[in-house]
Amino acid sequence: MAISVKLDRVLLDRGMSLTELSERVGVTIANLSILKTSKAKAIRFSTLEAICKELNCQPGDILFYED
Amino acid sequence: MRAIGKGSLASILAVGLNFTRIFLWIGFVGLSIAMVLVPLASVIAELVQDIDGVNLDADISAGRDDYLKLAHQFVNFGVMLFVVNRLLEILKTLRFGSPFVKENADRFRGVGYALLIGQGSVIAFGFLSLIFDADIEIDMSPIAWLAIIAVFVLSEVFREGARMKEEQDLTV
Repeated sequence: MAISVKLDRVLLDRGMSLTELSERVGVTIANLSILKTSKAKAIRFSTLEAICKELNCQPGDILFYED
Repeated sequence: MRAIGKGSLASILAVGLNFTRIFLWIGFVGLSIAMVLVPLASVIAELVQDIDGVNLDADISAGRDDYLKLAHQFVNFGVMLFVVNRLLEILKTLRFGSPFVKENADRFRGVGYALLIGQGSVIAFGFLSLIFDADIEIDMSPIAWLAIIAVFVLSEVFREGARMKEEQDLTV
C-alpha cells in the first residue's frame, strides 16, 4: 500500500499509549490498531482531526506516501 | 415478520431446505446404488436363478433407455443437492452474521454453474434420448436460463457488497 501510517512513532514522541489515545479520541483500540498497522482502507476526516488534536500534530506527521 | 435473524422467514426457509436436503440425499443415494446395480441386473438375475427354490421368470434386464433415464435423474438430483447445500450455507450467514462475505459470492457463482450444468444436461440427455430412442421429457424453459443469469448477477452483487463491507470495516 502506498500510504503508510506512522502512528506509533508519534505516540512514542508524546509518551502516550494506544489505549489512552483510544479513550481521548473515542475510537476503539481495535480500529486504532487497524490504523496503526496500515491495514485501514480509509480514515474519516473527523477521526484524523481528533487524533491530530490529541497528539498536537499535523496529518502529515502520521500519514506518509511511499512509492 | 422479520426477513432475517432468529425466528425469521430465513429460518423457516432453512427448515424447509433441510427437509428437502434429506429427501434429496435419500434419492441421490438410491440413484447412485441403482446406477451401479442396473448394469449388473442380468448377472444378478443369473446368480439368483442358481439358488435352489428360486424361479425368476420376470425379465429384469434394463435397456439403454432405462439407464439413460436413470443417469438423467442422477444428474438432476446431484445438481439439486448441490444447490440446496449452497443455499443452506448462504442462509446460515444470513441468520447468524453478515451475508456480505466473499464466500457467499462464490457460493452463488457455484449455484449458477450447477444450474448451468443442470440445463446443459437437459440438452445432452435430450440429444441422447433421440439417438437411443429413450422417452425423456426435454423441458427447455427460458425462465430457467433467465434464473441462471440472475444468479450470476446476484453473485457479483454479493461480491461488490462484500468489498463495500470490507471497506466499511476497515474505515477508521
